[in-house]
Amino acid sequence: MSDRLCELNQRVAAERAAVLARGETFYPGASRIHLAAFPPRERWDDWVELDSRAWPERVERRFMLVPTTCFNCESACGLLAYVDRDSLQVSKFEGNPEHPGSRGRNCAKGPATLNQVTDPDRILHPLRRAGERGQGRWQRVSWDEALDDIAARIRAAISGGRPNEVMYHVGRPGEDGFTERVLAAWGVDGHNSHTNICSSGGRSGYQWWMGMDRPSPDHAHADVIFLISAHLEAGHYFNPHAQRIMEARQRGAKLIVVDVRLSNTATHADHWLAPHPGSEAAMLLAFAGHLVRNRLHNREFVRRWWNWPEFMTRERAGEEPTFENFERALAELYSAYTFEFAAAETGIDAATLREVADIVAGAGTRLATHNWRSAAAGNLGGWQVSRCLFLLNALLGAVATEGGTFPNAWNKWVPRPIHVPPHPPSWNRLTWPEEYPLAVNEMSFLLPNLLREGRGRLEVYFTRVYNPVWTNPNGFAWVDVLSDPALVGLHVALTPTWNETAYLADYVLPMGHASERHDIHSYETHDAQWLGFRQPVLRAARERLGQVVGDTREVNPGEVWEENEFWIELSWRIDPDGTLGIRRHFESRQDPGSRLSVDEYYGWIFENSVPGLPERAAAEGMTALQYMRRYGAYEIARRVGQVHEEAVPDAELEDVHVDAGGRAYTRSAPPASANVVPLPSPDPDADGRRAVGVRIDGRILRGWPTPSGRLEFYSRTLAEWGWPEYAVPAYIHSHVHPAALAPGQVVLIPTFRVPVQIHTRSANSKWLDEIAHTNPLWIHPSDAVGLGDLRTGELVRVETESGHFVVKAWVTEGIRPGVVACSHHMGRWRPEAEQGGAQRQMMATVALRHEGARWALGRKAGVQPHPSSDPDTRRIWWTDTGVHQNLTFPVHPDPVSGMHCWHQAVRVRRAEASDAYGDIAVDLERAEAVHQRWRQLARSAAGFSPDGSRRPHWLLRPLRPRPDAYRLEPEPPR
Amino acid sequence: MIDLLRALAVLAEPPCPETAWAARALGIDSPLDAADHDDLFLFQLYPYASVYMGAEGMLGGEARDRVAGFWRALHLEPPPEPDHLAALLGLHASILEAEAAEADPARRLLRRQARTALLHEHLLPWLPPYLVKVGEVAGPGHRRWAQIALEVLAAEALAAGPAATLPRHLAVAPPLPDPRSEGAEAFLQGLLAPVRSGLILVRADLQRAARELGLGLRAGERRYSLAALLGQDPGPTLGWLAAEAEAWRERHARWAASGPPSRASGRRGRVAPRRCCPNWRSRPARSAGSVDGPAQPWPPCMLPACTSPMRLPSGSLNWAMRGPPGTSAGGISVWPPAPSIDCSVCSRLATST
Repeated sequence: MSDRLCELNQRVAAERAAVLARGETFYPGASRIHLAAFPPRERWDDWVELDSRAWPERVERRFMLVPTTCFNCESACGLLAYVDRDSLQVSKFEGNPEHPGSRGRNCAKGPATLNQVTDPDRILHPLRRAGERGQGRWQRVSWDEALDDIAARIRAAISGGRPNEVMYHVGRPGEDGFTERVLAAWGVDGHNSHTNICSSGGRSGYQWWMGMDRPSPDHAHADVIFLISAHLEAGHYFNPHAQRIMEARQRGAKLIVVDVRLSNTATHADHWLAPHPGSEAAMLLAFAGHLVRNRLHNREFVRRWWNWPEFMTRERAGEEPTFENFERALAELYSAYTFEFAAAETGIDAATLREVADIVAGAGTRLATHNWRSAAAGNLGGWQVSRCLFLLNALLGAVATEGGTFPNAWNKWVPRPIHVPPHPPSWNRLTWPEEYPLAVNEMSFLLPNLLREGRGRLEVYFTRVYNPVWTNPNGFAWVDVLSDPALVGLHVALTPTWNETAYLADYVLPMGHASERHDIHSYETHDAQWLGFRQPVLRAARERLGQVVGDTREVNPGEVWEENEFWIELSWRIDPDGTLGIRRHFESRQDPGSRLSVDEYYGWIFENSVPGLPERAAAEGMTALQYMRRYGAYEIARRVGQVHEEAVPDAELEDVHVDAGGRAYTRSAPPASANVVPLPSPDPDADGRRAVGVRIDGRILRGWPTPSGRLEFYSRTLAEWGWPEYAVPAYIHSHVHPAALAPGQVVLIPTFRVPVQIHTRSANSKWLDEIAHTNPLWIHPSDAVGLGDLRTGELVRVETESGHFVVKAWVTEGIRPGVVACSHHMGRWRPEAEQGGAQRQMMATVALRHEGARWALGRKAGVQPHPSSDPDTRRIWWTDTGVHQNLTFPVHPDPVSGMHCWHQAVRVRRAEASDAYGDIAVDLERAEAVHQRWRQLARSAAGFSPDGSRRPHWLLRPLRPRPDAYRLEPEPPR
Repeated sequence: MIDLLRALAVLAEPPCPETAWAARALGIDSPLDAADHDDLFLFQLYPYASVYMGAEGMLGGEARDRVAGFWRALHLEPPPEPDHLAALLGLHASILEAEAAEADPARRLLRRQARTALLHEHLLPWLPPYLVKVGEVAGPGHRRWAQIALEVLAAEALAAGPAATLPRHLAVAPPLPDPRSEGAEAFLQGLLAPVRSGLILVRADLQRAARELGLGLRAGERRYSLAALLGQDPGPTLGWLAAEAEAWRERHARWAASGPPSRASGRRGRVAPRRCCPNWRSRPARSAGSVDGPAQPWPPCMLPACTSPMRLPSGSLNWAMRGPPGTSAGGISVWPPAPSIDCSVCSRLATST
């Protein structure tokens, strides 16, 4: 290059540096060079665009651009609300380029937030049931009436020694710990989640290795990406991950996708593997065996970081505990997992498996793997799928490396809040029953069963962004118990929009959407730590104009509130005089004795618990809160790297004791950290020293938050708690293994999602509904032939263990023969007697009938065009909203992870003459019998606890009752 | 070069206050205002490879598909306008950046090969004459921009070395339509398709023709305007076209010897053209036997030199496009034999001259 061009290039580079140093955008867009197709942030106060509806006239509109965080899936992508400066209403949502996770990009669900905000069917005022529960009659009440009633009941429960009769059941958390701390402040162990119908299987496998229960793959820098999921369309952190996966592919990385369907993700794969459902672990162990047999593993990493000494000591007591002996033992353990064996189990030919195994081996430390729901959520023993997948990372040393897989807690920042209440004193047996001591999260889907068994009752039950009647298996059991005031005294549904569960509430309280509430998030989208801020954008916009907004209800539609302010207010009403010790956790520090405001709450966090943020804000002349209100996100660290390799500083090594396995314990108090990300808490040593690290090659390093301090190939916990056969990664035959199927049965995959919907949360988005509103049954042509040459669109009856549903067939080669699949999201319904409301774009009107334990649901009408405040509802052209298959699934609790194992062994046959589309029939007695069969698999703490506790104390738990609450006690009389 | 390429790309976009820095950094003193931008890129010289490399001389078509295919070959999702000048310069910068950031030598080599392929296949075949033409019709700001871009291209071409094969755009370019068999309409359309005619005729050229010939320019698309000129006074119009073609031929002949102009001063030869656009070297023999003058050492990439079977002045226009088969010095490309045509337009042209 000539000197002149060099000089020009340098001049441009210098200009770029100067612009960036001013905090401005260098390559503004929209630009074909794809560097920044976003409004530069220095112009967010007054951004001008032409009004597309005025075309061909050139009419300029001026906007304030206010960031917030999407509240559809869990990715927490950044949104930028375009607030019209004239109307002070949001005109559209685009991506927030300042967000480190999503980097300005969104999937369809982000912009569709606008549909949710303007949804003509949304709930705008607090409602109380006017008739019997479930009768469908409602009356509008004031927030004060609702709050006083609910608070009085909670106060009575707490004061009366029944704190665990208060339960909060959350679907999409959308925040990091706020509400858990509310429950802790109340002293109730009442947190209930959706995790055991979602990710417990995946989490469990990761937990046994790392202590931490989520993976954080560094997709962007990987050489090989191995997904057991439809990750590019519906995976966890779908948008932030998908864009990084595509970046890696552009660099030449190989993509391996394991999915029984030809998903959109599979179409992007270099290798699409469609194994028989449930055989994934067999395949992964064959890969692992191949690595070990051919000594393709990273020997140094395995030697340093696996807990092989513990394995040798406990399992190979007769052998010298040398690494070489361990390697021999490892090869022996997996010697049976040949490609031929895996081929027989998976139905994929051995040569293909070998080819893929070699690609995996070639990745070295740049292997990014991910399994979250999918196989881990579908199968008995599915938790071994994620465990065997991570085994590949652990063998290759692709752990917390560039392009490898990290534990989530290292790529996440949960800032310490202004008040940290202690954990509750008691143990909730409705959510943590003794039968499942190793369950990753609450056994939420068993709640109806446990309530019917008389194990407890609920005085106040909150469902919040959660719809268990529709989402959970065996939904009629939920209808049954939620209809019974003796079991559920008061049901409060916190929801922006009508759903099947809200119809069974006593109060329906309207909560805000993504642009109408405060929350903070930090998720492991890549190897970094970032914090995202959700905020009521109209409040922020008015504040930019100098107005003072007191309460989010002042700017939200109708009387829609946000939960932060709601919980603070409710807590004050539970404990108005502070005598219960609750109020102090919701008081201002600046103005003691008064209510904590959201400004003070977040302002304190941003000033005190987010390193670097105050300084960055000050550089722009702002407070940290102002900075977050302006930009919506902050990146705390990039390239966190290998925390386990960090040496423990001497200051933390007081009176150190190192046990025989190398686990190091100290008397030093843990250093104060502003990051309170949940971590497992390995038990102290016999003298009470806390676990601080692990000695590796003579140095005490941070290691892993596991009992051994290392990556646990061998889990002493599993061995001691009744599962010695699964103490190492193993293959468990699924309940849908071919050997378990009766003649004529096939496997139903009911879990897969479509890219533009998210459970029941997005059904109030007209754009999304128009794209995806039904869920035909995928069936392979060869299977269709066996059903009398079944054609697409014809009705079939799918028979499960407890009932059946009637659905349309979609004959496609995009699924493995012998397997059928029906997507999640669809089949929404409103009882015909319901007078409250509905999501009229996506809910069919149905007749519900039941006689004893036999329940039935039949469609009365599909959706149709209708007048509303939105002219588009007159243009609804679809009537079909799919079939609610989950009603027909009995519960399948995995005895280890606690996961509901979603896959179903079903019979598919042509519909009968009396069948109609959408028909559902369920026998709850049959469903309960299935539940009891599965419960027989459990190994209860009562029988297997090695130390008299309910659960290994070191494992993660959203709320951690006091240690004495962990002690097993006799079951109270029922 | 990465920042420089991106700055040049940014300046091919509609100007806005946020891009003022780019012009400043490149030392472009004259303002790049929206009117200039629109006149240049929306009215005169559409900045899309498909316009210059496509058989139709229009946006889209197979030429755009070929460019989009190149993006896909790199595992990139083609943008909505994959052949836009800014997109291509941006892509070139991105590959350079990826190449610089790549630690693995084998992968770095792959990136370099991708960059070279982009250069030879989709930049050098059309950008040098395009940018020269920009220099003729644009205001001072964009003229300066084009000169810098030419320099950058020349430097990149020098670094990349000669192409191994003829660019696909050129290899598949059809000849100019034969008006006797395909009609005058197709012929005129072909005339306006640079890859077929060898000419870049912009609206400003047609205005000039009308002015020089004393004819009325009827407003409309270029084909309509050109047909109107021919209809008013065919002989002189054809003569003007012949002269225009001759000027392009001479221009390429000149560049063949000393390179395209790369500075405002018109100084030439900063980079030898055979290095700048090596694939252009592959076509000398094509013109050798077809022009009544000496063989051209450097026929341009897309502007085939005149190959006259007609009794035209030496070196003058031959619409037949293709010369006899020939091979380049490197033995690379074999051009198809050109059909000799005897079209009425050319006959009239011959008569008129």
